[in-house]
Amino acid sequence: MARTLAMFTDTSLCIGCRACQVACKQWNELGMEQPEWTGSYQNHAHFTDSTFRLVRFMEAPGASPSGDLAWLLMSDVCKHCADAGCLDACPTGAIYRTEFGTVNINQDTCNGCRYCVSSCPFGVVSFNEHTGTARKCTFCNDRIHNGLGPACAKACPTESIQFGFRDELVAKAGKRVETLKAMGFKDAQLYGADQKGFLGGLNAFFLLLAKPSTYNLPENPKVPQRNVVVDSLLSIGSAVLVGLGALLAFRDRGRGDGGGHA
Amino acid sequence: MLKTPDWGMMIVLYFFFGGIAGGAYFTAAVADNVGGPRSSRVALVGYLLSLPLVALCGLLLIADLGVPTRFLNMMRTLKFWDPMSLGAWAVGVFGLFSFVSSVMCFGPFEHMARLRRRIGLIGMLFGFFLASYTGVLLSATAQPFWSEGRLMGALFLASGASTGMAAVSLILALTGGGSNPGLAKVKHADRYSMIIELVVLALFLALLGSAARPIVSGHFAPLFWGGLVALGLVVPLVLDFVGHGRKALGALAAVLVLVGGFILRYVIVMSIQS
Repeated sequence: MARTLAMFTDTSLCIGCRACQVACKQWNELGMEQPEWTGSYQNHAHFTDSTFRLVRFMEAPGASPSGDLAWLLMSDVCKHCADAGCLDACPTGAIYRTEFGTVNINQDTCNGCRYCVSSCPFGVVSFNEHTGTARKCTFCNDRIHNGLGPACAKACPTESIQFGFRDELVAKAGKRVETLKAMGFKDAQLYGADQKGFLGGLNAFFLLLAKPSTYNLPENPKVPQRNVVVDSLLSIGSAVLVGLGALLAFRDRGRGDGGGHA
Repeated sequence: MLKTPDWGMMIVLYFFFGGIAGGAYFTAAVADNVGGPRSSRVALVGYLLSLPLVALCGLLLIADLGVPTRFLNMMRTLKFWDPMSLGAWAVGVFGLFSFVSSVMCFGPFEHMARLRRRIGLIGMLFGFFLASYTGVLLSATAQPFWSEGRLMGALFLASGASTGMAAVSLILALTGGGSNPGLAKVKHADRYSMIIELVVLALFLALLGSAARPIVSGHFAPLFWGGLVALGLVVPLVLDFVGHGRKALGALAAVLVLVGGFILRYVIVMSIQS
């Protein structure tokens, strides 16, 4: 496996220009969509089958260093989780991990069962009605295999989105948090940088200026498949009980009419 | 923020018929193995009922895909930790058992009853799997309502067994003349299944806590409390206890159990997707 690549989105540098959103649409040839009224500048409300990068606009009372309303911006994207729920859920093997650590959906193999859609802890994977397949950010798979960074990172005019080797970006991000804290942003924190943290770390990780829930991000997302073992054992328990009930009911209670060889 | 998979009526019906197919086959296998000759009709009806239902299950699953012609892609891999992958295989394997057991009830195979019984014991395990994995599948998602009660699979299993038995008893009641000792035994077994289902359902709701909101309050609550808990579980249990073998009441109870089994899948699948 090649050295893990990552995208680091430093939300403190985002100016909400949405160049990333547009560059993503252009490079990946994603069609236009009907705009949505979300009550803020944000458009669309959520990721869709043709919106893989999405700048979120959050108005958070009391979250600014002076205690006033903070206008928080965050360019959101598929997190390319190290323990990816979508990848584990995929029954066809269409969702795979590349040699760079990113997660991709093979459009020629996906048969549209939509299990990945419900398994993503971030609501990223979307179903496309026209192709009948699941779609999401590819980390510009074609570009990174040809020595280019993802289109969104390339287009970002403030280096809010940075592309590079994961270990280098994490070190850089750690220093940036220190700087911001010294400037008075006491809640500045990294989201998904820690490989020992949730989901084995995110290969698209973030620097946030407030706690994750302010950005509508889960504080401690879990791998959905964690439930399979316990639930299966409990199902077996239920099967044993039902089986015993049926045995009791069907046993011939020695009425001498044969059968009962078991 | 979370996205739901837009699974609709086809998946609800698949969960429902899969439960009945697994439950009916299991009932047949138990009747075949320990029920003696008086239960032979139970075994016949159970095996034969599971076959068209599992075939229908396969068709429903394929029809629900975004690209149905690629259904065989499910067979490219086998992931032991992935309910969707195991489930796709299980439908196929269980279908095979269902077919073999059904064929072995007839003609030249009739004298191979001992082998049929053995096959039934193994096939029964796949029947259990088909009836319960759909619950585990829902709980292995990011949706809180589906994933936070640890008993979804156990609940689907008890309900599958119960609806399977109800379906078998209904067919026996409608086709058999006179008194049928096998029918009484299926009803008896179904009573145990319903009691287990009620207990598991109560534990499931307790474990879910506030995450149970989509079904215990809101739009789907009347259907859940009235349709499933009252009409689908409590009323049939009461009918079975007070009805004392009266055929019409028994048949009515079986119909209610089937309706309840459908409502269970319907409210669980649809309540967070509407």
